[in-house]
Amino acid sequence: MSEEERNVVAPEQVPVADSIVARFGNALRTDDRDGYEGYVVSVESLKDVATVLRDELGYDYLSSVTGVDYFDEGKIEVVYHAYQTSGGPALNFKVQVDRENPILPSLVSVYPGADFQEREIFDMYGVSFEGHPNLRRILMWDGFAGHPLRKDWQEAYFEEENKPFDSRWPGGDVKRSEAENRFGKNVSYPDEFDIDNWAPEDDSSLYAGLNKSGSNGKKLKTDSLVVNMGPQHPSTHGVFRMVVALDGETITDLQPVMGYLHRNHEKIGERNTFLQNMPYTDRLDYLSSMSNNLGYSLAVEKLMGVDVPERAEYLRVLMAELTRVSNHMWAIGFLLNDLGAFQTPALYAIRARELILDIFEATAGSRMMCNYMRFGGVARDLPDTLRDENTVDFIGDLVNERLPAAIDELDRFLTGNEIVRSRCIGVGVLPADKAIAYSTAGPLLRASGVPYDLRRAEPYSIYDRLDFEVCTRSNGDVYDRYVVRIDEMRESVKICQQVMREIPEEGEIFTGKPQYNVRVPKGESYGRVENPKGELGYYVVSKGKTNPYRYHVRAPSFINLTVLGEMCKGHKVADAVVILGSIDIVLGEVDR
Amino acid sequence: MSPVIGIVIEAIIKSALMVFVLATAFAYLTLAERKIAAFVQVRKGPNRVGPWGLMQPAADGIKLLFKEEMVPAGADKVLFFLAPILTMIPAMVIMAVVPIGPDVELFGRSIRLGISDLNVGMLYILSVASVAVYGIVLAGWSSANKYSLLGGLRASAQMISYEIALGLSIIGPIILAGTMSLQGIITAQQQSTWYVLWQPVGALVFFLAGLAEVNRAPFDMPEAEQELTAGYFTEYSGMKFSLFFMGEYIKMVAVCAIATTLFLGGYLGPYVEQLPWLGILYFTIKTTALLFLMIWIRLTLPRLRYDQLMAFGWKVLLPLALANVVVTATATVLLG
Repeated sequence: MSEEERNVVAPEQVPVADSIVARFGNALRTDDRDGYEGYVVSVESLKDVATVLRDELGYDYLSSVTGVDYFDEGKIEVVYHAYQTSGGPALNFKVQVDRENPILPSLVSVYPGADFQEREIFDMYGVSFEGHPNLRRILMWDGFAGHPLRKDWQEAYFEEENKPFDSRWPGGDVKRSEAENRFGKNVSYPDEFDIDNWAPEDDSSLYAGLNKSGSNGKKLKTDSLVVNMGPQHPSTHGVFRMVVALDGETITDLQPVMGYLHRNHEKIGERNTFLQNMPYTDRLDYLSSMSNNLGYSLAVEKLMGVDVPERAEYLRVLMAELTRVSNHMWAIGFLLNDLGAFQTPALYAIRARELILDIFEATAGSRMMCNYMRFGGVARDLPDTLRDENTVDFIGDLVNERLPAAIDELDRFLTGNEIVRSRCIGVGVLPADKAIAYSTAGPLLRASGVPYDLRRAEPYSIYDRLDFEVCTRSNGDVYDRYVVRIDEMRESVKICQQVMREIPEEGEIFTGKPQYNVRVPKGESYGRVENPKGELGYYVVSKGKTNPYRYHVRAPSFINLTVLGEMCKGHKVADAVVILGSIDIVLGEVDR
Repeated sequence: MSPVIGIVIEAIIKSALMVFVLATAFAYLTLAERKIAAFVQVRKGPNRVGPWGLMQPAADGIKLLFKEEMVPAGADKVLFFLAPILTMIPAMVIMAVVPIGPDVELFGRSIRLGISDLNVGMLYILSVASVAVYGIVLAGWSSANKYSLLGGLRASAQMISYEIALGLSIIGPIILAGTMSLQGIITAQQQSTWYVLWQPVGALVFFLAGLAEVNRAPFDMPEAEQELTAGYFTEYSGMKFSLFFMGEYIKMVAVCAIATTLFLGGYLGPYVEQLPWLGILYFTIKTTALLFLMIWIRLTLPRLRYDQLMAFGWKVLLPLALANVVVTATATVLLG
């Protein structure tokens, strides 16, 4: 599938190449490294190129920004993937800077959606973005020394560059890292750092950046109040923090703070072998592990150039769509919880989800951490029986009867509910142009009236053969996001019904011989899927070894949060909670 | 034995019994709420402690008693200590004027089932209910916590707004009965019929305003979990927390008991004249039904937003209650 896709992609890129190469001359060249695509832009003309791309060529949607540390060449490369919201393949452009003095112009003024992603690169690589409105660390804590994704940065108790590690007990000689000095050789501090007298910085700089002027226009003199909602707070769905400046009950500014669950997924990914990363992807958005698997498989399969057998493709789509249903059930249930309903809608919503998890468990061996897909297929075929029923009958019954009934039930009780409507309509409005500019994805983007769904915009797997609608609404408020989710569940069920009708009864589910250590050809690839939460992208760079040189996750929850502050301004505290709930974040993915 | 001593002893015994009954009602109301919630949500609910989880409240009580009491460093210690008491006491003493049954013969004395029968019973209820808000506001203020402060602010605004509608809604029964004594109102209902039939709007307004008064969903703004963690009692733990908890549930019982008295005929029911003790049963059944309604509403509805709540109170409930008063008064005058 990868070869085909490249052939399709190439002719479309030619006119773009002509027009911008002619315009920028030396400032822009085709990336001619083996296995790479796109363009390399010079630092000086980066902003101009981006502006031209956005305004004249229609690449209005910046999907992903990430960095790669090419340590041997002494360069840090920042990679941008831009798309047209009308559909089509990516335009991939890069800019290279010196490792020692990495300064780049910020693209936030062109693509506001680059905000958090540039902060992440600043955090992880130390690249300074000039003109960025709020260039602070985002995932690591403010006092952290070093930039963890640089190739010369080593974690505490660093063992080896790549897994599998050598025996930790060579010859039975047990060595425990706890026994080592806390200032041991793997733990490095800056010279002036005094660990015994160190006190963490307070958040005064964060608070100082907030807009505290009340905008209510009343004569009454009011004081503003800064409230930290989180990291421990019932509404944040995890350890997420919203620093809110309040004027009475009205929000004048909101600043999301994250990273409490940060484990440097990407650094771990670079230590792991390609296949070892698969179970790690389950833990990103732990409610939709099947879709996470799919995205990562697509990215690596593009590099390897393997084809996926027909039956495996159907199984993948079936699992991904069931995941979408279960995720949206969860999202709607918890949106209602955020509205203050006492768990009842949530528990009814996840009743049907339980049956979906039964299928996952019977097939993949685990309810949530499925680890189901492999490069070139899936790990296991459907079992013969499930809950003492024929599996095909069970799934058929589920997608034809029970899931539609469950969705109708939610629809019947919630959609017309007076309180739900009065709390959701007109709250957290995100206009279409802003939704695109801020790189929002998934139901958030579609509720704003942008019919952008990767399954249609750049079909992967067998989605081009399936019949389904891209669900959109036009108001872009919390209510529309809710309705879009209900509609999407219906469409997903429709897809599942088609899959169950058309799936080949017999057939291979895996190409080639299963092996633990795949060798992936040199090159880069960006695989993306329409995750329930939005566009999930994996940017993988291989140097021909058994482990990825760079492994980046474009997490939809993380990037959708960029616009949170914007949406909450002028609303009440209670609305902030609902707006956050309507974005539907999972902190495992936000913090990575 | 002089009659005065007899009256005092009687009052003491009745008060002690009332406190005991209310405390038990609180305990089993929490269990009932959890069981009903479980039933509504297709779960099992507490079922480990005793048969059907019947000893759960005792286990909870023991746990709360032995929990560490924490006082935030910046808190105003005196007010912080006083606030839970100020919430709890008014909730208890409200019940003093509610008759739970007709007079009965016991040990050769005629004993009133109910601690007292003030001739200004309704005024007493309104004034005591207003005191309860101080506990909440002070808890919010003294905790030195922003969530608590916001919760306290919301509570004061909400309670003051809804108290007006609440006060107006009880004027209907007072006009109809021609007395402020709760016993008198029941007697008047005995002669005509339950006032919920004459005063459907008043009953509705009373129930809704009562929900807001006791901070129950969908008006549980002051403690909105998703927004303010726990609102005014965020910083409370151990026994102080359970006093708030207790105050809240006992207030629920009190509001339902008053609603029963005003609109559902109190302890009235078939054969109550022949068997006065039946009155307690009828009263309990009616109050429990209202409590179930409150729990049911909480389990069904999402929360309103703060500004919507205020708008509802001032723009809907208040005019409705006022109109009800005007119509009732006019009708009473015209029809005699």
